[in-house]
Amino acid sequence: MLRRRNLLTTLLIALPWALLLTLWHQYPTTHYLSLLRKETDENVTSKALLNGTSALREEGLPSCIRQQQSIRATPKVIQNYVYSRPPPWSDTLPTIFVITPTYTRPVQKAELTRLANTFLHVQNLHWVVVEDSPRRTNLVSNLLEKAGLNFTHLNVETPKSLKLGLSWIPSHTPRGTLQRNLGLHWLRDSFSNTAPPEGVVYFADDDNTYSLELFEEMRYTRRVSVWPVAFVGGLRYESPKVSPAGKVVGWKTVFDPNRPFAIDMAGFAISIKLILEKPQASFKLEGVKGGYQETSLLKDLVTMDGLEPKAANCTKVLVWHTRTERPTLVNEGKRGFTDPRVEV
Amino acid sequence: MKSQLFSRFLLLLPWVLIVIIVLDIDSSRAPLPALAPRGGGGGGGGSGGARPAAARAPPQRRPEAALPTIYAITPTYSRPVQKAELTRLANTFRQVARLHWILVEDAAARSELVSRFVAGAGLPCTHLHVPTPRRYKRPGLPRATEQRNAGLAWLRQRHQHLPPPQPGVLFFADDDNTYSLELFQEMRTTRKVSVWPVGLVGGRRYERPVVENGKVVGWYTGWRADRPFAIDMAGFAVSLQVILSHPKAVFKRRGSQPGMQESDFLKQITTVEELEPKANNCTKVLVWHTRTEKVNLANEPKYHLDTVNIEVLQAQELPWLESLENELMVVW
Repeated sequence: MLRRRNLLTTLLIALPWALLLTLWHQYPTTHYLSLLRKETDENVTSKALLNGTSALREEGLPSCIRQQQSIRATPKVIQNYVYSRPPPWSDTLPTIFVITPTYTRPVQKAELTRLANTFLHVQNLHWVVVEDSPRRTNLVSNLLEKAGLNFTHLNVETPKSLKLGLSWIPSHTPRGTLQRNLGLHWLRDSFSNTAPPEGVVYFADDDNTYSLELFEEMRYTRRVSVWPVAFVGGLRYESPKVSPAGKVVGWKTVFDPNRPFAIDMAGFAISIKLILEKPQASFKLEGVKGGYQETSLLKDLVTMDGLEPKAANCTKVLVWHTRTERPTLVNEGKRGFTDPRVEV
Repeated sequence: MKSQLFSRFLLLLPWVLIVIIVLDIDSSRAPLPALAPRGGGGGGGGSGGARPAAARAPPQRRPEAALPTIYAITPTYSRPVQKAELTRLANTFRQVARLHWILVEDAAARSELVSRFVAGAGLPCTHLHVPTPRRYKRPGLPRATEQRNAGLAWLRQRHQHLPPPQPGVLFFADDDNTYSLELFQEMRTTRKVSVWPVGLVGGRRYERPVVENGKVVGWYTGWRADRPFAIDMAGFAVSLQVILSHPKAVFKRRGSQPGMQESDFLKQITTVEELEPKANNCTKVLVWHTRTEKVNLANEPKYHLDTVNIEVLQAQELPWLESLENELMVVW
């Protein structure tokens, strides 16, 4: 009799503690511990809020921020909106891996910011940012953590010899090649060929403009899909030529339409499966003529009749090859005028 | 006796904790510093913050209604990159709660491209249009004056019949700038006129108001620092109250000098002492004055145009294509 009562009491005591533990695991209190990329919604929101109010000096440091002061300082008005985080991860939707090479220049943070603002709308997107630098910079690290996206941050420096020497026409020096190859290498390292995930790889330069429709078009690529790109090749847009049967039969470009793949980097996506099946396929560094960089990768992966035309049989423009003007920083002078600690 | 009390306490404690957590989660999605396993001081201060949050739970139950609306007035004009700029601007604005976008075209009539864009934009949007008179289209003259004034007029007209107070904040968003999401958090708490730094403007990495003791005392700018408000169009926001209580405050055309647009407007509605510095006392750059390169369309053929009509930009607004006749390469 006594035993049973003791058992009951112990059970009654243990039960609420167990409940407490489960609640504690589920809800935002654990955001201090979990620095995992696949976080729950609440974790991401709370992280974004706290990170958003970090003090200026910490911009230069890794994100060890003084949350307590910030919490007391910020007004309560803002905490209730549920934006600035991506839609919840779905286990059934194919993942879109976006590889973005980037390099340090004044507009870098602005470009990555507006890119992140676009990517936050897309479900199951994993952003692979590859910096052209010897070390991962704090600017990019902080930005990626604040953004709330699923990301991977890599870096590889392009040797000076490659930056200068490859072609006497500077506009045709393939840029971002090493970085894109590193992105592909990471993918091949992270996923095995025997159990490839459902997904696509897309190379997104940080100054282009992407509509949200584009990502849904590319998501279900079986091998390699293609679509028109605006503002390339000196045209309003370049696009693949699609036969009435829905097969790609050529290229509507003025600049060298006889290339095997006369398409811009932003105009195609490759399925992960194909990337893993052909581990030798990567962008060539040397001996690549202007406009042939995309060909150097695609020729090892697919032939023209294996391409899948998207965007309503390549009749809609969903991506624009915009370029951002270099800002005139004449007033900085030789030694720089503005405070270098303020991150721009 | 003691053991009974002890066991009762053990029983009650976790339930009390559970109730507190659930209440907090229900009332607001805010983080709970009280339960964080961080240092004592922070935890103490944090828990102090959490209690008032729980007490304020009832008003926060309708969070969307309490949030002031942000009105973004964007003048836009037809050129190749227009659709691209509007697209990525919309992608940013859609991440912001309660943002009402006022798009004003520099055109005599609503263009199809923008109308279609607005229909599928995915956020509350007002589509206006007002053409700029040709005599004001000379280089060196301020641009988009008529469009911004049209946006202001629409706002005033819309709110004239509604009772005060009208929580709302207005800012001028050019379609080629870049906005971080943090900026909107900062400007939403504007009481009168708030200011912050702008990146990549004035020939410098950034320009900003100089702040001392929470008040603006000067301007850190690369160009004409003697202006009364040496700030860029992207560097300030005005509360709706102020706009409505100054019905005659508009952007000037007559007698306007280049670069004085912002000053001429702001001095009609506020003084430097009243400005509210944001972005951590104007030390963080949350908006960048990016500009997009002009697109190279040299290869566009004059004849044998494409068989499909794809919308990228407005074809009829490109008279300068005619001048490329001599330079056109091989056409189809």
